[in-house]
Amino acid sequence: MRNAWLVAAREYGENVRTKGFWIGILIFPILITIGIKAESWLERAKSTRNFVVVDQSGKFDSAIETALARLQEKAIAREFQSYMSRNAATPQAPTAEQLDQMKAGEPAKSDFEQMTEAEAKSLIALSLLSGGLKPNAPPFEVPRTPFRRVPAPDGVDTSAAPGAIADALRPFLRGDRKITVEGEDAELFATLIIPKDVDERVERPGDKRKKRADRDGAQYWSANLADSDLREELERAINEEQRRVEYVAKGLDGKTVEAVQQTKVPLARFDPKKAAGAEEVSIADQIRQWAPVGFVYLLWISIFSISQMLLNNTIEEKSNRLIEVLLSSVTSWELMVGKLVGIAAVGMTMLGAWLGFLVAILAINSGPEAKVATSLLEVLKTSGLLPAFAVYFLLGYLLYGALFLALGSVCNTLKEAQNMMQPVVLIMIVPLMTMMFIPKDPNGTVATVLSWIPIYTPFVMMNRAAASPPMFEIVGTTILLAITVVITLWFAGRIFRIGVLRTGQPPKLMELVRWLRH
Amino acid sequence: MNEPVLVLDRLRKTFGDFTAVHEMSLSVPRGSVYGFLGPNGAGKTTTIRMTLAIYEPTEGSISILGRPSALEVRDRIGYLPEEKGLYKKMTGRDIIAYFASLKGMKRDAARARAAELLDKYGLGEFKDRKCEALSKGMGQKVQVLASIAHRPEFVILDEPFSGLDPVNQQVLEQVIRDLRDDGTTIIFSTHIMEHAERLCDRLVLIAKGRKLFDGTVAEARRTIPRRLIIQTQVDPSALRHVGGVAGVRALGKDDKYEVTLSEGADADHVLAACFQNGISLRSFDRSEPTLRDVFLKFVGAEDAEEVVS
Repeated sequence: MRNAWLVAAREYGENVRTKGFWIGILIFPILITIGIKAESWLERAKSTRNFVVVDQSGKFDSAIETALARLQEKAIAREFQSYMSRNAATPQAPTAEQLDQMKAGEPAKSDFEQMTEAEAKSLIALSLLSGGLKPNAPPFEVPRTPFRRVPAPDGVDTSAAPGAIADALRPFLRGDRKITVEGEDAELFATLIIPKDVDERVERPGDKRKKRADRDGAQYWSANLADSDLREELERAINEEQRRVEYVAKGLDGKTVEAVQQTKVPLARFDPKKAAGAEEVSIADQIRQWAPVGFVYLLWISIFSISQMLLNNTIEEKSNRLIEVLLSSVTSWELMVGKLVGIAAVGMTMLGAWLGFLVAILAINSGPEAKVATSLLEVLKTSGLLPAFAVYFLLGYLLYGALFLALGSVCNTLKEAQNMMQPVVLIMIVPLMTMMFIPKDPNGTVATVLSWIPIYTPFVMMNRAAASPPMFEIVGTTILLAITVVITLWFAGRIFRIGVLRTGQPPKLMELVRWLRH
Repeated sequence: MNEPVLVLDRLRKTFGDFTAVHEMSLSVPRGSVYGFLGPNGAGKTTTIRMTLAIYEPTEGSISILGRPSALEVRDRIGYLPEEKGLYKKMTGRDIIAYFASLKGMKRDAARARAAELLDKYGLGEFKDRKCEALSKGMGQKVQVLASIAHRPEFVILDEPFSGLDPVNQQVLEQVIRDLRDDGTTIIFSTHIMEHAERLCDRLVLIAKGRKLFDGTVAEARRTIPRRLIIQTQVDPSALRHVGGVAGVRALGKDDKYEVTLSEGADADHVLAACFQNGISLRSFDRSEPTLRDVFLKFVGAEDAEEVVS
């Protein structure tokens, strides 16, 4: 077996020294980091968006102002919590809730959904004084307002008909002209035009009016309709205001209306499979259900990329006839085992690095404000996903690796191999297609049937890993898979032995069968 | 010690309906340099592959270093295949060391030996260059060195000279001489007669899967009649009656004649006869037969064409 080790060591050394290997290793943590941070980066990179409101009816001004202020307060509350978790002196430092109690001397709000800039700053000052924050904590930065209302540019007659106003603003909205905000040029992102007779355009149940022009209430103009945040915020603000006014008109008290509008029934989600008292579906549960999909994908990518390596360098050795020198030094079995082991080590190095990076990045980014990262880390640590992954990777790799080695041994060029791989690729694609719907019915008929097909067992069982499939299925499919692996290795060994020395046309199927009997 | 290194006994190999090698028997004495000569497709490579247990013979038996299969004595054999190739991404030194270690050498010893060989045969400065950056000739030398790095007692080189320029051919001849001086038994196949003539003690001629001749170089030469080429303006027909002369034939130009000698005849005898018969000579050429002539005789001009040219 010494020779098999030497072959394995060479395969490992050669593949680990390639640039592709290191790019593959390093690209993963970069992608993960980008995935985690992208949203906040994008949020931060977004410049403040300016918009003009022309309210000819004069009814909605204050409602819009309130809506904008509420948006900003939400952003401040989020930033505040993130700031506190970054800069708390100890993990046991007073929570925001406790601080709030300290400040107000009254029971805390259940959660900080909104807070003003002044509130945030005073709470931070308070916790600095009480030693709840690190002494060198940086000053709190108030997040930028995402949207800013600006007056209509000079020269636009705001008392004109809505169509005329829109025409006048068109060059600004298209970006052909700039508006001036606080002495600087800026782009106009959107315009809301509310006509004078908006009351007559309000839709009510039973309306028979059909003409479109009549149904235009307010007009929202923007060159970027895909970013719907502002539009939704404005729509909500004016509709709430319209309804409030109509309630009041029907004789209801304004305060009561406001209170009613903020009423809501919280909808919690529960899983009947959980023990009593723990039925609530948490983020961790969601992750537990969907994390296997990520692992299936990882399994698929890693098994096929390294099996492909195996195929490629078998063909390399064959096409430059190194195989003859090798076979005058080692047996074909030693060569095959050496290759399998060497490439497996390459794959495991890569996967080990990836999973290490994943856990490390999650650990760095976890914290109260990063619920997903924290829960994912928790799931990885406590569930059996990682060990299951290791087992299915190894067995799956041996199965497909042996298959690809045999395939490589009968081909002389990569092109020939690609032709012969076509059917294999078609078969391989199945677990990718079922990957997304198996978690929805993890112990259903399709999943169960696929689990018992050895070439799919690693992927499908990985897919189902979180749904605790019946124990006999886990053990049974694994045993069936292991037996298949042994048989495939044996067959592959026979084909490899004859195939590697063969030149000319790849053999026909019947010929392969003859080799197996030989 | 005098037991032959390799004995092939009535070896036969068929691929489907095609018989590549018929009834091949030969014996390679220890310490000899043994040439496999023959045109392309003669069965040289197939014979070599059977010798190395890469192919299983259809019939017949092999004894190599006293064993029935090369697999049992792999580490004592060195082999250079006909088609040459290297791992492109590895350095010459690493490749030589890798193959030496597959033959049982310790890692450090193998690396030291690789460096030593590369230095010795003029590749020292390319030691740590990746093979894809080496010229074809250099790559081939690396491969030759890889096949002998583990100090095998029996080396089989399949067409080692093909594709090498004259300078590198000389280096390779030196490698073979050095091996022979160390007592290594060498088989090499070639279709370039000059190398065989300079290096071989013994040779086997193969064509169309059959052995045509097997013996020493001197024996090979003796298989064709010896000739003299004389140049004279006098009619040399009188020589026909001289003892040891089998025939006289005019070559048609420059007054040259070919005098064929019977076996065991002495050329000096003919020279004396010329003087006695008053045949004044402008030149007298003993014209020893070359392996090329031997080849022509055995293989026939048609097949020999590609071999000798």
